[in-house]
Amino acid sequence: MRELPLRPLKNLILPLLYICVMGVTPVFAQEAEGPHAQIRLVPERTEVKAGETIRIAVEQTLDEHWHTYWLNPGDSGVAPEIEWTLPEGFETADIIWPSPHKIPFGPLTNYGYEDHTILLQPLTLPANIPEGPLTLKAEVTVLVCKDICIPETSEHTITLNDGSNVDNTDVITAAEGMLPKAEGWPLTYSEANGNLSITLAPANPEAFSDIRIETLALIPEEWGLVDNSASVIASIDNNILTIRQKRGDRALGEIKELRTLITYTDTNGDYRGVSLMGSPSEEATQVAAPAAANSTPQTSFLTAIIFALLGGLVLNLMPCVFPVLSLKAISLSKMSEKEQAHAAASGFAYTAGVVLSFTLIAGILMALKSAGAQIGWGFQLQNPTVVYGLALLLFVIGLSLSGIFSLQGGFTNAGQKLASQSGLTGTFFTGVLATLVATPCTAPFMGAAMGYALTQSAFAGMAVFVALGFGLALPYLLLTLVPPLRKLLPKPGHWMETFKEFLAFPMYASAAWLVWVLAQQTGSMSVLAALLGFVAVAFAFWAWGRRPQQKTIRAFITLLIVVILGLGLTLGFGETFKKSNHHETPVASGMWENFTQARLDELLQGDEPVFVDMTAAWCITCKVNERVALDTPETRMIFTEKKIAALKGDWTNQNPEITKFLESHGRKGVPLYVFYGPRDSASGNRPAPAVLPQILTPAIVANAVQ
Amino acid sequence: MKRLLKPLMTVLAVAALSIPAFAAEHDHGAAAAPASGKAAPVVGQAAPDFSATDIDGKPVKLADLKGKIVVLEWNNPECPFVVKHYDTKNMQKLQGEETAKADVVWLTINSSAEGQQGNLTDKTAKEYVTKSEAKPSHYILDPKGEIGTLYQAKTTPHMFVIGKDGVLAYAGAIDDNPTPRHEGVEGAKNYVRAAIEALEAGKKVEVATSQPYGCGVKYSTN
Repeated sequence: MRELPLRPLKNLILPLLYICVMGVTPVFAQEAEGPHAQIRLVPERTEVKAGETIRIAVEQTLDEHWHTYWLNPGDSGVAPEIEWTLPEGFETADIIWPSPHKIPFGPLTNYGYEDHTILLQPLTLPANIPEGPLTLKAEVTVLVCKDICIPETSEHTITLNDGSNVDNTDVITAAEGMLPKAEGWPLTYSEANGNLSITLAPANPEAFSDIRIETLALIPEEWGLVDNSASVIASIDNNILTIRQKRGDRALGEIKELRTLITYTDTNGDYRGVSLMGSPSEEATQVAAPAAANSTPQTSFLTAIIFALLGGLVLNLMPCVFPVLSLKAISLSKMSEKEQAHAAASGFAYTAGVVLSFTLIAGILMALKSAGAQIGWGFQLQNPTVVYGLALLLFVIGLSLSGIFSLQGGFTNAGQKLASQSGLTGTFFTGVLATLVATPCTAPFMGAAMGYALTQSAFAGMAVFVALGFGLALPYLLLTLVPPLRKLLPKPGHWMETFKEFLAFPMYASAAWLVWVLAQQTGSMSVLAALLGFVAVAFAFWAWGRRPQQKTIRAFITLLIVVILGLGLTLGFGETFKKSNHHETPVASGMWENFTQARLDELLQGDEPVFVDMTAAWCITCKVNERVALDTPETRMIFTEKKIAALKGDWTNQNPEITKFLESHGRKGVPLYVFYGPRDSASGNRPAPAVLPQILTPAIVANAVQ
Repeated sequence: MKRLLKPLMTVLAVAALSIPAFAAEHDHGAAAAPASGKAAPVVGQAAPDFSATDIDGKPVKLADLKGKIVVLEWNNPECPFVVKHYDTKNMQKLQGEETAKADVVWLTINSSAEGQQGNLTDKTAKEYVTKSEAKPSHYILDPKGEIGTLYQAKTTPHMFVIGKDGVLAYAGAIDDNPTPRHEGVEGAKNYVRAAIEALEAGKKVEVATSQPYGCGVKYSTN
């Protein structure tokens, strides 16, 4: 055997020694150095007896800005894992966690710890333990994260009963000071309007005295019960703490009881936690349903049909519809007795036009609804392009009535054309036209009927819309079917021409109102563009009928007209397509505050009454009500006297929060007036919210808020 | 001509009523997904539709995949939990098994924002897919987080399984062992495999939701 060369070996000795020491280190040391988390396991004491339970402190010291996780890590991450290798019969119980903090990262939120934390692991010894030292081994894996995450594993060994008799009670006591307190406050929970709602009602009147409520956080043990990133609404009232937070993805029925923490900063500036548990509240847990059929006022099918009929009838009086109806009616007076059959045909043609148009509209609305759109009656007016289109239509009809140009067919000449097929077609389209100009107007009674229609089955909904159409067509239909009624109509004469010209003005007024609505939606620039569009259209229609006969000049003029018309329409409509966020929100004008669901929830937590007005610029009934009953000095005085908080929601443009609110009261359109009475000091509850009628008088408002 | 004018006008006007209404609902352009409100997709309801382009430039639209089972896997190559499944070849094995079937499509989606961990370009993503021998049907980059936000994807990995009828059948973790340790893959119950099996057998998916585990999706923190 050759002698091993000594020199190379010597060079190897130190490195080898180093490796041996490092490799063996985990066996002796209880500290493991990781890049971002230092973990140390510290037993309560090293002298133990059989049957005892001691706590082992799992100490984490983290680099700045790095964190580890709580039992429920929140949106991402995992809690630390400890794998124990224990002597026979030794058992560990669940880790006891100190109060975690909410740690946000972008749109996500986690629950965990930064800096220095101690978890406590209870260890129970069996009834019989061997003599001599006992060795416990633990493999600890923590996920430590800042913006990125790193799992760090460390090995630890604890030796008990080895004669060292170390006492680490101070470490344990310090850790205990950071634990959430089990105060035992009675907790009930429920789900309402997409929120988890928790009520704590302790007997001790001082229970909440040191809570700074604005720092309160809700941290449930189970995942998915709340949206971890949503803000919490908390309030204390009569020693009852109510906490609300948006629900998470997990069905509440999956848990039998709620185990949760609340954390807060106390009046001394210290961070505190309280551990709570409780059961679902006794009251029926309202499952939040979109088209909430269960909270709809009892509108039966029959009631909806009747309301729709009445609504349709009243629509005839609206300035948009009235001219159409009156001209149709007048033309009937020219008819003789012999043409009764034709009159009836005319009546049916008109009714068909109206009813079919309503059916078409109903179909479109229902298709949109099933595609998930948040729609309500009047939603078409939330679109500026539609508003301008309707304004143009009304303006053009007005021009026709003023005699700027003449339209043949159906409109004013029914008497002559009744015998011919084209007359009936014309009448049919007059019915379509009447429906069209009726859409911007919401008549009373229509609100509840529309709400019913758009939340029920397709058949029921269609039936209500058909009833509405029938109501609209009914006056004319009756005139055509009941000859004696026609005798009530004034006799034809020269006055008819003047009357026709007069009817242009309600049309112009309606067009002007729609331009005002447009101004609310897209700003003043669009008003200029809209009006210039009107001028171009008026010119085009006027010039069309007055073109010279001579071929080349005629062609030139035709081209000119088309160009001007095109420019005008492009200008007018162009402005409406600009996706503008400009719309006049009724910013705290006088007593009115802008409506948001959060603000309403906040106010309802308090004791004072709340009045909610849902309105829109294009809703005439709303505007009239505000003028007549809401924005009056008397009403203002009553509101001030009774400390009624007034919220106004502007639905001129799409607003999903307002749509949801309307739906929760079974409505699909505006106006909607809801009054929440003040909290009764005896029972601690508010009365059920009262929905006011759609046509208000000062007396109705005064009575409702008494 | 004049005779037809009014009827024509009224018909056009009625049509005009409906078109802007549709326009109002779909007024986003050809972007990846309508980044709507915060409501997460609900198991048992239609999975939200989205359009995207994969790293090979091919267009992918969820609605076009109706009739197939679609798996969505949120991925971040540098997240230790993703590394656990990829280093052990656990993810690739599952991808391969499932995409071998004609009726399963696997979409791997990376929603890491620019400047955040795991953010890739088409080129680096292709390298990753090749190197890791991953077998998704498509790898999709979503650096703006549009699809991630649409699905409220919280972790990498976060798994979704969509049935042939377009209804979301499973949402949550890939398996029942949330450890970052590689040995955790063995013996873990794989929820995705189980969901696909149930869907193909026409049975009810036993575990339809579970708490997703992993690193947080690296959305932009702006």
